[in-house]
Amino acid sequence: MRILDPSHEEGAAGFAPAVRLAALEGATVGVISNGKEGTKGFFAAFEQVLKERYGVGEVVLRTKSNYSAPAEAGLLEEAKSWDALVAGIGD
Amino acid sequence: MPSAGIMTETFVSAAELMARVLGAEDYPFAVIEHPISSADRAALAARAERAAADCARLLVEADG
Amino acid sequence: MPLASRRYEVADMMAAQEFYHSRGWTDGLPVVPPTDEAVEACLEWAGLPPAHLVGVEPVRARAITAEKLAINAVMAGCLPMHFPVVVAAFTAMLQEPFLLHGATASTGGCAVLVVVNGPIAAEIGMDATFNALASSDRASTVVGRALRLCLINMMDVRPGAIDRSVLGHPGKISYCVAEDEAGSEWLPLAGERGMPVGASCVTAMAAGAPRQLMNEWTTVPEEILDTFASEIRANMRHYSIWPGNYAIVVPPQLRAHFHAAGWSKADVRAYIFDKARILRSEWADCGKGAVVRDRGGWEYTALSAPEDLLVIAAGGPAGGFGAVIPPWLGPKSRAVTVAIGACVDCEIP
Repeated sequence: MRILDPSHEEGAAGFAPAVRLAALEGATVGVISNGKEGTKGFFAAFEQVLKERYGVGEVVLRTKSNYSAPAEAGLLEEAKSWDALVAGIGD
Repeated sequence: MPSAGIMTETFVSAAELMARVLGAEDYPFAVIEHPISSADRAALAARAERAAADCARLLVEADG
Repeated sequence: MPLASRRYEVADMMAAQEFYHSRGWTDGLPVVPPTDEAVEACLEWAGLPPAHLVGVEPVRARAITAEKLAINAVMAGCLPMHFPVVVAAFTAMLQEPFLLHGATASTGGCAVLVVVNGPIAAEIGMDATFNALASSDRASTVVGRALRLCLINMMDVRPGAIDRSVLGHPGKISYCVAEDEAGSEWLPLAGERGMPVGASCVTAMAAGAPRQLMNEWTTVPEEILDTFASEIRANMRHYSIWPGNYAIVVPPQLRAHFHAAGWSKADVRAYIFDKARILRSEWADCGKGAVVRDRGGWEYTALSAPEDLLVIAAGGPAGGFGAVIPPWLGPKSRAVTVAIGACVDCEIP
């Protein structure tokens, strides 16, 4: 018998990663946290290490309004002003 | 802009699958121990050190 | 219009089973092999061309076509007459407030509860009485199963892959119920949620497992609802404190007391809204004292508004049983109601 494929068959378009920074010194690194329990302490320590060990100029910490959904449009718009972005995904 | 993701180890397979379905098969990310919800301050600080080292590597162009 | 999906030749029914199982295309149960004829019959019954776009899941930019939905519906055991319900339910699931990716990927392990209203329920043989929440009839079982197969095959929602559910619950196999409109004096759920009374509709809700309760020792509506509210409060203490769409299922024996006292669904919702609340300090009684902190006096309500409670008339005739169905997690996913066979973008006349 001839039977049909039930799955998604299109391949993903793919993307090329953005150009990396030349250095972290003096850069503005934005962090988008999912806001779950423990992230506050984790990212506080993370910010300290980035600044003291790697010379990052500024760390901007933002938290998604819904940890089960992608970051909202307003956050992504603000992210355009950063030099690099770190996202804290799974907890 | 360059970006880096940080997740706990139990979400690695999900992230790898999402990267594949979005067409970024080899997208790298930083991995820390799971969970963080019940980790104490010292444990969080240790994980933050390792994550910062990984992110520094992921965000900056490699030498040579 | 020809079907676009890839085709495979297999020797027989048993070979088809192993073919689909080996590719991760099943829920572990046997499937009905989806032939061109069977899939085309579903599409024809629903009046949909194969390429009709049911919707797009935005996180993965994944388009869901009528053809793919029909293939999965046939595999689940759907007949053509079941297919319009499957289409409407998946349309509802793809609406932005439902948050389909979050609901199906979450560690929280919810299932998709589908409530069917209107004449179509009887037309396709749905039984809103005995065993209402668990495989009451062929239609309920296969419609619910079709949604799960589509999630598996079209959205990679497989355990350990996209689906990170720690536990899940049996509703993930199938979780579809008709409302007992013939046996109830209440307005149907879809009518309460703004759809034209008498229209065939589905309501999709990202839902936890049902929590059965019993109170056959009173006829007083407030006392009956105190039992429901207590079960909701238990969920808030033990699982999640956040407000969202809760559903309660009220079978005939309890329903009769509300009808005798003249209580509408609105009265039920108002009472539950008022009673389903806890203080954060109550977490300390169930092992969660570590997160009470200095907020013990904070009050949390299960419902942000009375309208967030879905009251469903269903269940067998004997026994003072009822059920509370909690949300996946607070307000992250919102229940969505759509009409069957109608354009979601069209205004209701």
